[in-house]
Amino acid sequence: MRKTLAVLTTTAGLLLAAVPVWAHHAFAAEFDASKPVKFRATVVKMEWINPHAWIQLDVKGDDGKVTRWAVEAAAPNALLRRGWNKSSLLPGTEILVEGFQAKDGSNKANGSIITFTDGRKLFVGSSGDGEGPPKQ
Amino acid sequence: MKPLVVIIIAIVVLTALPAFAQNPKAAPAAAPKAPAAAKAWTGPKTPWGDPDIQGTWTSDDCIGTPLNRPAQFGDRLYYTEQELADREASLARQADNDKQEFVASNARVGTGPPGHWGERARRPCRQTSLIVDPPNGRTPDVLPEARTRRVPEGAGNDNPMPASWEDFSYYIRCITRGVTGSIFPVIYGNGQQIVQGPGFVTILQEMVHEARVIPLKGGAHTSSNIRSYMGDARGHWEGNTLVVETTNFLGNRTGLGGNGGGMPTSDALKLTERYTRVSPNELKYEVTIDDPKTYVSPFKVGFPLTQEPGYQNFEYACHEGNNAMFNSLSGARAQEKTAQEKK
Repeated sequence: MRKTLAVLTTTAGLLLAAVPVWAHHAFAAEFDASKPVKFRATVVKMEWINPHAWIQLDVKGDDGKVTRWAVEAAAPNALLRRGWNKSSLLPGTEILVEGFQAKDGSNKANGSIITFTDGRKLFVGSSGDGEGPPKQ
Repeated sequence: MKPLVVIIIAIVVLTALPAFAQNPKAAPAAAPKAPAAAKAWTGPKTPWGDPDIQGTWTSDDCIGTPLNRPAQFGDRLYYTEQELADREASLARQADNDKQEFVASNARVGTGPPGHWGERARRPCRQTSLIVDPPNGRTPDVLPEARTRRVPEGAGNDNPMPASWEDFSYYIRCITRGVTGSIFPVIYGNGQQIVQGPGFVTILQEMVHEARVIPLKGGAHTSSNIRSYMGDARGHWEGNTLVVETTNFLGNRTGLGGNGGGMPTSDALKLTERYTRVSPNELKYEVTIDDPKTYVSPFKVGFPLTQEPGYQNFEYACHEGNNAMFNSLSGARAQEKTAQEKK
């Protein structure tokens, strides 16, 4: 198992405690609560698409091989209202992702906890309507 | 469980929790008193003399307010002053939590995205339910024949093991949320941009991007042979109130709840909406729902729509990025394959 793509073994029952209320669709239709994932990755691009933004990421394994992942983020309209824009997450940024893998086993996951490598939240809900992005 | 049912249940569950705040810089509203009377304020007029209700309005403040009133409130539509103060304190706590720059070290990985990615109410909703009439705030009984009515093939029923794109609801397919589903407060995208011209009012609704063009000419509805998801609207002014009657729905496509969820309504549905500007930044919204093929009696839903500094509708090109369709179908196939291999 790669250090950078450690599949967690926490029981699904505990993980299901949080109800997915922010999604346009149902979590269970797309993702598998029994396949938690946690990895460090480099942002390739952020797709500001509706109904959900997606973050394209490169994940480097111990063998140096790079694997492309896609992580589902929030609704772009909601993120915009929180003050974010296309410059807020630039390619090359290193982030940590925790979430759950797609049911079909492909390299996709929902974003449950996404932080910068120092633990700062990626999207801090500190901004209001029409204001600029929060300082990062 | 159907996806939208999950969302609706989640929203109901959330109402038992502290309410939310979005903009911590905005001054919290004073504890609400009894709703302002519609006649207490005379609003502006358009150059051609109609009441001016233009602007972008949002139902955000009632995010999380349940359609049906929780039993403990009985016939009480409004929270007490103490209950409102408690909810306002909860909003402040939520705003503080949203602003935390670092993820807590003991944060648990849940199946939902972080709460601070969502949109928030700016002040506590005064109401205990969105249903304002009957007095118990509950949906009237459903007729027996409505309970067994089936959503037609291809119209979307949120099959948990979808075999086709047609197995998803119209909401998940980014087609429509229906009239009430497009204005009832939901998790995000509650913007309602109203634009007026002589003889017409248009309401541009952010999520799923509906544009309701409402003629004010009055008169009869179009032929009952002409039916659509959003129906045929006819508007007129009663004093400062825009009254919109909508009929000619296709029926059996979307429900009355947020995002068009819940039991699908019938082709006999008639909606009578009332939009009254009660202050510069508040519209009183009410809709009487009359569906004699579904409910034993009409009922009324109401809540405030507010204008907020800087708030605007954003584009919602939902279909072009709707990766959930592909992922859900491929997920269902993977699930079937796993089940086959276990046999």
